[in-house]
Amino acid sequence: MQYGMIIDLERCVGCHACTIACKAEWEVPVVNSRNWVNRLGPSMTPEGLASTYYPGLCNHCEKPPCVDECPADPVDMTFTDAKSGATKTMSVSATWKDPFDGTVQIDKERCLGCGACADACPYGARFVNPDLADDNSMGKADKCTYCKPRVDAGFEPACVQTCIAGARIFGDLDDPSSEVSKYVKNGAKGIEPTGGHLGPNSRYYGNKRDMSLLFSSSTPALADLGSAKRRAMLATMVKPAMNKARDIGLLGLAGTMLVKKMNEDE
Amino acid sequence: MAFNLTRRKFLQTASLAAAAVPLSKVVSAETGITKAPLDAMGTHGDQTVVGGICEMCFWRCQLVGKVRDGRLMKLEGNPKSIDNGAAICARGNAGVKLLYDPDRLKYPLKNVGKRGAPTWKRISWQEALDTCGDKLNQVVDKYGAHGISVFPHGASAKYPMHYFERTVGTHNVSEASFFQCRGVRDTAYIATTGKAPGEKVDMPNTKVMFFIGTHIGENVHVSHVKQYIQGLQNGAKLIVADPRFSASAAKADIWVQIKPGTDTAYMLAIMNYLVQNDKYDHDFIENHSYGFEEFSEAIKEWTLEKAAAECDIPAAQIKEVADLLAANAPNVAIHPGRHVTWHGNDFQRQRALACLTGLLGAYYVKGGWVPAKGPKVKGFSWKNHDHGTDYNLNYNQEEEALRHPYAPPGTPSELIRDCAISGKPYPIKGCVVWGQNPMQTIPNQEKMKQVFMQMDFVMCVDIMPTDATLWADILLPEASYLERYDYIKKGTQWNLAETHQQYIAPRMPLVDPMFERKDQVYITNELAKRMGHASEIPVKSLEEMTEKSLASAGLSIAQIKAEDGIHIQPGKDPYSMPEDFEVQLYNDDLADAGFPGAPTYIAVPDVPKGFARLLYGRAPVHTFNRSQNNVWLHNAMPVNPVWVNNEVAGKLGLMDGDTVSVVNSEGVASGTTTTVKVTPGIRKDCVYMYHGYGSTNPALSVGKDQGIDDQKLITILTADPESGCSGMRNNFVKLVKNGKVLDMPA
Repeated sequence: MQYGMIIDLERCVGCHACTIACKAEWEVPVVNSRNWVNRLGPSMTPEGLASTYYPGLCNHCEKPPCVDECPADPVDMTFTDAKSGATKTMSVSATWKDPFDGTVQIDKERCLGCGACADACPYGARFVNPDLADDNSMGKADKCTYCKPRVDAGFEPACVQTCIAGARIFGDLDDPSSEVSKYVKNGAKGIEPTGGHLGPNSRYYGNKRDMSLLFSSSTPALADLGSAKRRAMLATMVKPAMNKARDIGLLGLAGTMLVKKMNEDE
Repeated sequence: MAFNLTRRKFLQTASLAAAAVPLSKVVSAETGITKAPLDAMGTHGDQTVVGGICEMCFWRCQLVGKVRDGRLMKLEGNPKSIDNGAAICARGNAGVKLLYDPDRLKYPLKNVGKRGAPTWKRISWQEALDTCGDKLNQVVDKYGAHGISVFPHGASAKYPMHYFERTVGTHNVSEASFFQCRGVRDTAYIATTGKAPGEKVDMPNTKVMFFIGTHIGENVHVSHVKQYIQGLQNGAKLIVADPRFSASAAKADIWVQIKPGTDTAYMLAIMNYLVQNDKYDHDFIENHSYGFEEFSEAIKEWTLEKAAAECDIPAAQIKEVADLLAANAPNVAIHPGRHVTWHGNDFQRQRALACLTGLLGAYYVKGGWVPAKGPKVKGFSWKNHDHGTDYNLNYNQEEEALRHPYAPPGTPSELIRDCAISGKPYPIKGCVVWGQNPMQTIPNQEKMKQVFMQMDFVMCVDIMPTDATLWADILLPEASYLERYDYIKKGTQWNLAETHQQYIAPRMPLVDPMFERKDQVYITNELAKRMGHASEIPVKSLEEMTEKSLASAGLSIAQIKAEDGIHIQPGKDPYSMPEDFEVQLYNDDLADAGFPGAPTYIAVPDVPKGFARLLYGRAPVHTFNRSQNNVWLHNAMPVNPVWVNNEVAGKLGLMDGDTVSVVNSEGVASGTTTTVKVTPGIRKDCVYMYHGYGSTNPALSVGKDQGIDDQKLITILTADPESGCSGMRNNFVKLVKNGKVLDMPA
């Protein structure tokens, strides 16, 4: 199974409902985004005057470059297929591609907040969430999960549910009878970075002029992995010290909150 | 500043300590201490509260709230809704941030500084209501009830508006939703078909959609967008006349890049072509129209060539559009528009739309104008009284006739403002602003300031500070749409092709009001008690009003709650024309009143050399300035870029993203700045920006001074002669970059 999302630009009206619903659902900080809507044009394309939208989100890539850059110590993790109940154990760092549903996920408890994964993503789909800062980090890596907790509980992703135009379609790209697969057969395409073959699973469907504008304006370059690696290396170097400091740090956190609470009570 | 609040800090400041991470949850495990989970929980496990009716805009989608520990975490469309369904727009989703906006009004406030530059002092409700009662009584005693003017907007303003209009007895009520928006649409259609048209076009089932300036996509009303998208998906052709390549134009088969102000000429040419070439609906015209001959005669000068020259579009394209409409008639959706107070010639344009619909036989047919048959629910408000015409500013006492006979309910804004400023024919010394922001709805802000300044007393009731509340003597904090009973939303299934159903959905509170916020029935009734009208109070609470209204439909609040917030019942087939339905192609009453009997094109002033016409429209994430302080919505579109044609920009040396300010032909400067959007998607003779930016109230910590207030630049006033509604697109501007005023090339 590979979850994927189709954005039908023939339907999309660029209303931003998807981005705001996501903020509410996952308590995303105001200045950060798990998904976005860029307004494109009106611009001249080879197909004529066009104006459309780039509703972007994590592509849950076939070969996610973000996963490889995570410097957190790998641990064995057992994954369960939500449908069949089958399990599989893999050694993963703090971010991985799920072997059953194909989504890319983060363990925020083990995330070092170094931002290497965010640097590695050419789409800018990851950010370090400053609201989740703790004594070990300035925050935790955050991004679209395809609403995995909702989907596993039987709900639609929040952005899909709220889409007023029915422009967002979520489903299994490996299932040839799914709506998303039908869209792919009809020409829905992911945005590959220049020179890259990441296999993005969020894909776009639209008429020639809108697709021309979307791909000409929104195709990114592959990320400079050098900076991601430097960031990851730095994080690894300070990690042992951070682990030691953890318990003390938490005492500090609790103490801070206690003092704060007392101040407020006054 | 609210913008920088983190989630946790915010929770603390919103006086909702229960929802902040409690210390107890920080403790456990091996060290005795652990953290709250880092991952947000998502709202799917939260308590679902039903009965929400959105009022982030005025379409009023049906909502449910996701509530955790007494705190509203998220709003969603009510899955039971046959209107918006589980979907709501960006603004609807952002209602949470309005509810908990730290800048919201919390307590009654008294202005101990100046009007326009207030210093606020918190006072008790007792003192606030006593002051309002005393001051309004003084105005009534000294000048009469007509000495009070009222500027209402929204569901909460209806009850107090009725109180002042019906019970106190002033005609001087001006609703922005009429006089600066859709009033002229309704009265022009009523003069043509006998019915206000709403936006009741059967788009899902049409073959052609015809929009004049309508920009669905940027103008977002959920079930309307659903209808529009379904129509496109079903293969309907879309024709969009707009000087700008709007969100709708981008999905159109034919984009008519029309010269602003000439739309009526365009439609007269289409209609004349249909008549001359025998492409109109004979059956409809014979059986359901009046005045075809006079009409045909009146419009016959409008050849394709003449309109092409006037509208600055190709004659062949006018013919193409007319042929496309004729070939698909009667299943064509001629959209009546919504905000249509553009040029002061708008009654005639709206008449033309109504007549064009008639020529195509597109009333009460699949894909045409079809008023869905909704359920009946009785409203409960203040009793009507006849207050005569003596103090009706719209009534010309000498001629014994209305000045603007096709005015929507209330009194045209300009008549009220002129009377207030001049004191003639009588003084207007009391002002009640309730949910409206007349500083940013009625054109010419200097004039509005003069109106406020000469008042003996100004009171404002709102949920947020606005540019109008700056002028209040007493400012009262209102419960929001999420915290009160109120409006009963009713209608039918969104797609008329589906099983006919009706729904009734009363607004019920999702959470309790915080601080000292009160609802409109409480406030109005308290004023009424202090003004000698206690015996006429129609209901004691909003809950009672809702209960009484529901009883008229055989329902109750308890039953609605048991039905998950929405009552659904069988509906009726709307596709049948009433026998007496008639389209007045020529209207004798209009002619008798001295107006053109047939739709007539009235040219608007040309753009002066060196200027561009200022056009404005809807931002998809905002409902005017009222949502400008919402952090989520602000972050989605922080400013309103000014659209400039790419060739014009090239001559001016403007680059996409440049920072500019704007000055109009009367020397009024925007004060704030915005960015430039360089695009081939706009005509050279105009610039465009989203409406709803550039608020100046310092109490708006997010929205203040963000982007440019188009309204500030609208200072040349035109009033539509038939309706008295404002014309707002006859203003001309230049851009200013680095302090240099740029002459706009033609």
